[in-house]
Amino acid sequence: MENKLKVIGKPMIKLDAKKRTNGKAIYGQDIMLPGMLYGGILRTKHPVAKILSINTDKAKALPGVKTIITADDVNVNLTSYRRDHPILKKGRVNCIRDEIVAVAATSPEILAEALDLIEVEYEIEEGIYDPFEALKDETRQINDYIDGTQKNKNISASFHYDHGDLELLKKESSVIINRRYTLPFVTHCCMGTTSVTADYLQADGTLTLHSATQVPFLFQRDLAHAVKMEPSKIRIMQPVIGGGFGSKLDMHPFEPICVLLSMKSGQPVQLTYNREEEFLASPTRQPMVIDLSTGADKEGKFTFREVNITMDNGAYTSWGSTTPFVMMQTYSSLYQVEACKFDATAVYTNNPYSGSFRGYGNPQATFSIERNIDLMAKELGMSSDEMRLKNANFKGEITGQKLEYKTCGHPDALKLVIDKSSYTQKRGQKESGRYRKGIGIASMLHVGGGAKIYRSDGCGTTVKLDDYGYLTIITGSTEIGQGSETVLAMIAAEELGIEMQKIKVINTDSDVKPWDVGVHASRTSFVAGNSLLGAMNILKEKLIVQAKKDMGTGDEPLEFLEGSIQSSSGKVIKIDKLVRNMHFKGNELCSASYFYEPPSKFADKDFKGDISGNYAFAAQTIEVEVDTYTGNVKVLDIHMSQDVGRVLNPLGLDGQIHGGIATGIGYALTEELKIVDGRVLNPNFHDYKMLTACDMPNIEFHPVESLDEAGPYGSKGVGEAPLIPTAAAIANAVSNALNIEITSLPITPENVLRAIQEQTK
Amino acid sequence: MKYDLISPRSKDELLSEIKTRQGTPFRFVAGNTDLLLEIKKSKPTDLSLINLGLLDLPEMRSIQIENNGLRIGSLVTAAQLVDHDELGKRLPLLKKAAHSVASPQIREVATLGGNLCTASPAGDMSCALVALEAVIEILSDSGDLRTLPIGDFFHGVRKTDLKENEVLYSIWIPTQKIEGRIVSDFVKIGIRKSMEISIVALAYQFQLDSSGNIQKSGLALGSVAAVIPFAKSACQCLEGKNFNSIDEDTKQEFLGKVMEYAAPISDVRASAWYRTQVLSNITKAIFE
Repeated sequence: MENKLKVIGKPMIKLDAKKRTNGKAIYGQDIMLPGMLYGGILRTKHPVAKILSINTDKAKALPGVKTIITADDVNVNLTSYRRDHPILKKGRVNCIRDEIVAVAATSPEILAEALDLIEVEYEIEEGIYDPFEALKDETRQINDYIDGTQKNKNISASFHYDHGDLELLKKESSVIINRRYTLPFVTHCCMGTTSVTADYLQADGTLTLHSATQVPFLFQRDLAHAVKMEPSKIRIMQPVIGGGFGSKLDMHPFEPICVLLSMKSGQPVQLTYNREEEFLASPTRQPMVIDLSTGADKEGKFTFREVNITMDNGAYTSWGSTTPFVMMQTYSSLYQVEACKFDATAVYTNNPYSGSFRGYGNPQATFSIERNIDLMAKELGMSSDEMRLKNANFKGEITGQKLEYKTCGHPDALKLVIDKSSYTQKRGQKESGRYRKGIGIASMLHVGGGAKIYRSDGCGTTVKLDDYGYLTIITGSTEIGQGSETVLAMIAAEELGIEMQKIKVINTDSDVKPWDVGVHASRTSFVAGNSLLGAMNILKEKLIVQAKKDMGTGDEPLEFLEGSIQSSSGKVIKIDKLVRNMHFKGNELCSASYFYEPPSKFADKDFKGDISGNYAFAAQTIEVEVDTYTGNVKVLDIHMSQDVGRVLNPLGLDGQIHGGIATGIGYALTEELKIVDGRVLNPNFHDYKMLTACDMPNIEFHPVESLDEAGPYGSKGVGEAPLIPTAAAIANAVSNALNIEITSLPITPENVLRAIQEQTK
Repeated sequence: MKYDLISPRSKDELLSEIKTRQGTPFRFVAGNTDLLLEIKKSKPTDLSLINLGLLDLPEMRSIQIENNGLRIGSLVTAAQLVDHDELGKRLPLLKKAAHSVASPQIREVATLGGNLCTASPAGDMSCALVALEAVIEILSDSGDLRTLPIGDFFHGVRKTDLKENEVLYSIWIPTQKIEGRIVSDFVKIGIRKSMEISIVALAYQFQLDSSGNIQKSGLALGSVAAVIPFAKSACQCLEGKNFNSIDEDTKQEFLGKVMEYAAPISDVRASAWYRTQVLSNITKAIFE
């Protein structure tokens, strides 16, 4: 196959690159519908309070205000992953995002004025912002909408997993390291702020929703439940999406609110966040406290991991509460480990609620494990790279959690970055003076072939070839900037032997496209790619049948080449000619449909099972220079190796690597949504320190191609992996430079300076 | 939020607009980089904005080089300061401070006058101008110019000496004939390399004669007090000393004096503890 590939593996500029860079992409806020109103939300002034009264009289009297709704005006269901979240709040507010009143007006200016005119009287109450405080018996119940099935009134979800004989392996350990790790709130910072446009037609009870959701079909179902409609009467149209990263995996209250405003006003309504609202009201990565105990025997083989994780769920529950599904894979199966005991609890607090975010718990888990490995190696007097190689995962391994590594680039990825970065030599250098260099290593494991969490992890595809030889791919999958449209077009071009310019990808209309579970879990190239391949096989078979008929060839092999089908005896016929013959002579259109469901299995009740089609591995070595006068950490060089199965589009892959690492460096060093007593203190880019292009280091990428047969052309999912080991590797590098402990993120200049000072005491 | 936008083209139009607006709420606006954010928050309802952006007034827009100093119009942008070769040679400190402002896009529109009138202790160009002992030139609605030392211009956070009928016209920066070399730097401590607000800043310039003796020194501290302080007593203790052979006692004395000017607060960006530590460390580094 290697020699034959003509498109796959060659750098390809994204299909939508020109549209995006020329300002022609239509994002949510660019949509203008006739008679459209502007919707907005009045949120609470206080994180926790009783609502004593709401007075909207002055706002209603303002010319241009069309509709005002409160919880009393709507007939709706509870929303969220646990159905613990009212769309509009009454009686009491529980976190600073809480929505109390919504307004639709004829202009954004009138809307802003109307929101200012609404008067809400509060009786302020004490909030509970610390998960450990929330778990105490004497603490009141935070979320009033839950049924109390968990063992504690303030637990939203809890997970337990184990394998192996933990107590025995503890006894056999020569070294045991116990640490508590603390991880902050961070948020996605999508460049496109949130925007939704609802167009409800009172005449026939149908709704068209222009929504940047990552999961159109789950969203359709959730929204239908929320506003009491039939799912099929809701058409989801996805505009160009200005960033997802997991933030659009849940339906959030602003979406049904926009729908309700449209239902009540009978006009289309658009609701757009400004940047401040984006920071206040978007989901965050789970803040966590991780108590981790790990052991190794005298040879440095890992013996056990025991972990207890307390996650801040916030006031309501999102899909993000299921991040322990992913974390437990990392604790049980990243490196070989004989015994593992895992407990994770999502605890309600009055903080803003967290959601899902690229990596889905894995950056936190990997940070804790990779820190502990360095500490164990140090204690045993062993080199940190040797210890990792000794315990690396391997091809054919079936882990304690029953993940099956049919291919495994873990050892190769580790060896590549160790070698290319001169890790061993740099690691041993003693540093002194103002600027001190250090190097760190970390690796990661993540699903690479989807993740069987929902009832189906599949994707549908329809392909049609027109009379002129152009192919349209109608895919259930969603483009959020990751480059899936381009990869799908490349696959089709490869299979059909036609030019990229003759391929169109349709993927934005739920009334047109077949079902797909959504864009998440690094799954799109794998699942949508396989689905497309299934459809292409049917289409190709149709063309072959027609070609045999038209060319009069028997069983001789046929090949798709340069827009034609060619026989081994040298007969050639153009594909468009075949389609026309099929259409005008055979009364048949050249199209095909296919639904692909990955071969992965559901985890059993003990969370064991081979839940992904394959598994991705990556390793990073990162060199840093620390300014001991200021505490600033400068990232110098990053070597990144990833088992991607096969490189599909090197250019797109490079984009994923750079983007992931940028998020990873931010998580390691600079980003934190500062939330004190339930309030967000830095809802702007001045004080939320997302990195800019100037801060990016040199990145050397070394792909590992393990050619896993489950994926398209042997590929694996790549999207989340690049950011997962970054914070861990940076923490290990800073620790190496200064010989200090790092147990929390971000590693701010102030924290570094304090650690240096404590060290010299 | 509602406001009137008035865009005078000439000096006369400007003065007449200022006169007309006396007693009513109005603000000057040039680059819009600070003010737009501010009025989005404060949501004024009866504010007038006098837009200086379309003024055809070379004195306010240009950098003039004279023998004993430079005169910079208040509407000169950070990008102009960065790109001006002669300014870069004579005032490397100001060039570096201008270059550390935000990002290329913002430097293209952000003005020196705006940086001064915002009167933030974190103003980078303001900090450099304090170290350089600049003189502020102010135009009143009668057309008269008055001058005052930059030290008297700042009264507190967002407070300046400007009266209601006055507009910042230009900035005079005295320079001496360079006999030896200039040792200067603008040290900006932040978290990102660009789009950053100083957590601590240190601006200094030492003018040396040909044998390395300090002829004139200036040092200012950003983000450690309500008003950017000029560390006068610290500068005094270096006078006449040779920059290349300052003894340990003098360095210690200098550091002690500098720190006397710092009264940092803790805020969302950093703690007072951190600001104090870092200021002390980067001050020591001047002589390393």
